[in-house]
Amino acid sequence: MNKNIDLNNLQNEGVENVPMQERRDFLKMGLAITGIFAGGSLFSAVSTFNSAHASDFAKKYPYKPHYSMVMQQHRCIDCERCMDACVATNHVPNVHGAYRTTILEKETPDAVGGKREFIPILCNQCNLPQCTRVCPTKATYKDKTTGIVLMDIKKCIGCLTCQEGCPYNARYFNEEKKAVDKCNFCWDTRLSKGEKDTACAHACPADVRIFGDLSNQEDRVFKIVHQIEKAVWVLRPEAGTRPNVFYTKG
Amino acid sequence: MTIRSLCITAVAALSMAAGVAVAASYPEAPIVYDKPVKGVIFSHKTHVEKGLACDMCHNRLFEQQAKKAQENKDFVMESLYQGKYCGACHNGSLAFASNTRCATCHIGVKGDARAKGGAKGEAKGHH
Amino acid sequence: MAHHHTTPSLNELVTGVANRLKTAGTGFYLMVFIAAAVVLASAGTGLMAMIKGHEAYYNVYREVPWGVLIATYVFFVVSSTGLCLISSIGHVFGVQDFMPIAKRSVFLSIATILSGFFVIAFEIKLPWRMAIWNVISPNLTSNIWWMGTLYGIYLAFMFAEYVFLLMNKHRPAVICGFSGSVAGIAAHSNLGAVFGLLMGRPYWQGPYMPIYFIASAMMTGCAVILMFHILGYKVNKQEMAPDMQRALEVTTKIGILLITVILFFTTWKLIAGAAGQPNGAYPVVQSEVFGHHAFVFWFFEILMGMAGPLVLFILSKGRNLKLMLIASLSMIVGIFVMRFNLVYLGQALPVYYDLGVNEFKEMLHYSPSVYEWVITAGGFGLTALLFLIGEKVFDGHKVEDL
Repeated sequence: MNKNIDLNNLQNEGVENVPMQERRDFLKMGLAITGIFAGGSLFSAVSTFNSAHASDFAKKYPYKPHYSMVMQQHRCIDCERCMDACVATNHVPNVHGAYRTTILEKETPDAVGGKREFIPILCNQCNLPQCTRVCPTKATYKDKTTGIVLMDIKKCIGCLTCQEGCPYNARYFNEEKKAVDKCNFCWDTRLSKGEKDTACAHACPADVRIFGDLSNQEDRVFKIVHQIEKAVWVLRPEAGTRPNVFYTKG
Repeated sequence: MTIRSLCITAVAALSMAAGVAVAASYPEAPIVYDKPVKGVIFSHKTHVEKGLACDMCHNRLFEQQAKKAQENKDFVMESLYQGKYCGACHNGSLAFASNTRCATCHIGVKGDARAKGGAKGEAKGHH
Repeated sequence: MAHHHTTPSLNELVTGVANRLKTAGTGFYLMVFIAAAVVLASAGTGLMAMIKGHEAYYNVYREVPWGVLIATYVFFVVSSTGLCLISSIGHVFGVQDFMPIAKRSVFLSIATILSGFFVIAFEIKLPWRMAIWNVISPNLTSNIWWMGTLYGIYLAFMFAEYVFLLMNKHRPAVICGFSGSVAGIAAHSNLGAVFGLLMGRPYWQGPYMPIYFIASAMMTGCAVILMFHILGYKVNKQEMAPDMQRALEVTTKIGILLITVILFFTTWKLIAGAAGQPNGAYPVVQSEVFGHHAFVFWFFEILMGMAGPLVLFILSKGRNLKLMLIASLSMIVGIFVMRFNLVYLGQALPVYYDLGVNEFKEMLHYSPSVYEWVITAGGFGLTALLFLIGEKVFDGHKVEDL
């Protein structure tokens, strides 16, 4: 009985002091150490399935640069500067349901220390996009050189099948443009003009949104996606779209 | 009527006994800062209930006037890490460190809207 | 088939049509007037939405972009494909009993698909762009492209078939009828695939949809054939010939079979969405079976759409026309709601539901706006209008000795 009470009241002593060998042994079992207890004799661990998965399909980077974004989810404070910057940069209309990126809020009452998490979302610029497959007129397409999923608005018939196909709710019909609109990593407004990042990443005060090149081993995005200390995951991996937006925390 | 006034008296007496009455005049509603970023909450209630007295923060760290601190140029996280403002306690030893548990105080635009009774943050409810 | 007609002159044809229209009662003209008014109101509403922006008039929104107009479109093309397939049993595949229903069914398959196109024109935001870019920028991996293209081909074949039937040219009619059936099956299963091949929508996803759509079309075809043939004889105030009675009897029997097939399909769809509580499908099935969508599902889809008509068809023995008419009317209402359920429920669960975020914790709701209902009514109005006019112009679609 006594032992049980002790277990319930254990304090996480932090993972900073876990030896690298220990971590690697756990990783081989498909587990990442999330905490140590009782003077380092007890470990808590989570499955690294998602991160293993993420780096598996990140193996192929057919584009140069291979644009990608990593969200340091734990750092997001929903100040929404990213959303404001996106609206201003990309002329997103001020109507309900019109946005290229937004922030979702998750309540985590049971989590140690946190009451809530904010989860920024945007187009995942998938390697296997559903939206481009279902579009009848190739109005939306994956650009051959940049890998960004773009819109050719004159071809959009407004059937909204791409909205149904997208597992990320990344698309909306823009009444002003008379076409479906979506995040294009600020291709027309910034990247093609020589800027190195997107408006949202640029505006983020908390270093949540890290924009970069997955095909470059020196790039921060590459390093975060390929490290083994922290779990890295993608949203809705079961949809099989091979997204290029990754999430991490801790 | 008599029962109700009795209860009120009893509660007041108990509060006095518990020493809560010293902070009887603190603002009930949480304060939500909107600069330099939107939606950062401070709750007097939470802090008073932890046993903190008014003079522990006022007017050494914060002036009495709500949100006065956000007029200052140095009201940023970096200052907190240096022990200013919230960082005086939120340093990892007295209270959780300022560079952890971000979303505890940063309730965001959504949390702010909710605190003000707005409906923002609900994607549904169309029409 | 043996004898050749002496082709009537144009004057004779016009006189015949004029006489039939003259002899029609006020009831007929009242119905024509109502149908035409509904179509006009619908077209006006649709054009207004198109010009001023759909957003202000329709209740569909970002998370539920497809509403009652898509459901109505699906309903009409399901009906058209069903009319084509069931009627082809006789005049294409040579089963004598089905011969008498050929002409009216082919005519109605054209009327219903035109009604479907009429409604979808107001649902798609920029239909004129479709006419251009579907042709010069086709996406061959897109089911919606195949559907649109194949339905275009289908309509051409059905039209040609009807013309050949009118001219009593049996052989080209059979060739067109067969080709139309093939195009119809291909088009319609592609419509199923529009829903079924969306990887991010678990309630729809899988090979079920294309298969279900074809079986469901045939079931719908039986209901529509029975309803319009019985109504047609009422409109023309004619006694039904024995061979037509026989045709409706066998159609009823096929209807009974197909209702049980769709009940079987539906049962397994529900079990598949419940067993193991699959992500993305289970909450939808829950709401369908005993949640907030349960009444609509059980009352309209199951009771009115299938179970009720099944009992009535069996009781009618394929001969009690009154029971058969009630059953087919009930079925059509039920099937319309069935199409709505299919379209809505696939979108009802937000794509981020499993993320557990505040924004998307609940099922999404959608109820059509008045404008959407008016346009929907226009689809039915157009079918009614074409049906009524068709009865008089083509003289009750009499099949002479095919």
